[in-house]
Amino acid sequence: MLNIEIQKTLQGSIGTMELDVKLSIQEHDFVAISGASGSGKTTLLRILAGLEEAQGEIEVGGEIWLSKKTALAPQKRGLGFVFQDYALFANMSVEENLLFAAKDKTLAKHLLQITELEELAHRLPNTLSGGQKQRVSLCRAFMRRPKVLLMDEPLSALDPLMRTKLQHDILTLHKEFGTTTIMVSHDPSEIYRLANRVIELHQGKIIQDASPKEVLLKTQGSQKFSLTGELLEILKTDVIYIAIVAIGQQIVEVVIDEEEVLRFEVGERVQVSTKAFSPSLSKI
Amino acid sequence: MNEILAKVTAIESCDNLSVLALHANGHNMRLMALGLNFPLKVGSEVLLGVKSSNISLATSIQAEISISNQLSCSIESLEMGALLCSVRLRFGNVLLRSVITKASALSMQLQERDPLIALIKASDLSIIKIIDETKR
Repeated sequence: MLNIEIQKTLQGSIGTMELDVKLSIQEHDFVAISGASGSGKTTLLRILAGLEEAQGEIEVGGEIWLSKKTALAPQKRGLGFVFQDYALFANMSVEENLLFAAKDKTLAKHLLQITELEELAHRLPNTLSGGQKQRVSLCRAFMRRPKVLLMDEPLSALDPLMRTKLQHDILTLHKEFGTTTIMVSHDPSEIYRLANRVIELHQGKIIQDASPKEVLLKTQGSQKFSLTGELLEILKTDVIYIAIVAIGQQIVEVVIDEEEVLRFEVGERVQVSTKAFSPSLSKI
Repeated sequence: MNEILAKVTAIESCDNLSVLALHANGHNMRLMALGLNFPLKVGSEVLLGVKSSNISLATSIQAEISISNQLSCSIESLEMGALLCSVRLRFGNVLLRSVITKASALSMQLQERDPLIALIKASDLSIIKIIDETKR
């Protein structure tokens, strides 16, 4: 069990902001922390890692990491940290990077096997792809068999295919090592695949704490296929009306009734919803 | 979106899937939905929604058909376009709209005040909102 109760005043882009988080996390949980940039996600992770100071208490499995009297050094916290930018030692081979964290050749071999990196053990980081580097960084984080794994947007720099591969590796290692994992992420598919709980921060406070499906699934009544967009135009065709709506980078058309035309104004934000039974999927 | 006020008379669920039995204007209705994660119970009043293009029309039904919702209506008005026909239907105290092809409207010889059966599949019917008893 992780018990976190911390406060810290941060200098944000819109003035000062109070990071004020009270949170309990069960052992072996996989928690995603989401929220807009500047909401305090990364700072929270760095405070947990001991890389930043804060007021309050952090207790992990009966061990005090932070209190009024003590602040346990980062290397004594028994945690692993995976950064967005890999943070590997450029002058050390893949294997040496792992052994630098802990001198356990058997474990290093095992981790490289799981992540299919065995053949790259003697390569230097700058000869690897982004996905390979991040897998090395993930393996290194597990070398000390961490009780707690912290990841700060670990997959945001990778292409979709490599993300899927790494999501699989992360989940395999999380389960095998029985780690409690806390990951900062913006990506809904990543959160849905990996996490069993999502904490959403807004200006330093928790505004949502629920399962990924509860947080991510936008619904409108019983309509489970719901997207937000901007109404661009309403056209009359024959006896029907067609609303043109911009959603993300795309434009969609929705047939509406005469009565509905009067209810909407071009330029306003609208929700496009239909039942989960109606849309169909096809390969691109 | 057409709106129909209805009362929930039964709820059957299997995993994430639910089928609701409803009652509206003297008609039994059925609705199919995924994950009804809002507080719905037998006796709840709900506002149902259905798109005009999802309402089919029949002058009479001889055979057994799988469409769960068969509502007796009468034609209030007809608007004939170049290709499509928009039919205003009276269903008890509510007006519904069905958009069908002009060819269908012509072959059915639809006229104002004709009695008709409006057909809606259970999966095309959605819940717009639950009418909160305390706010009525």
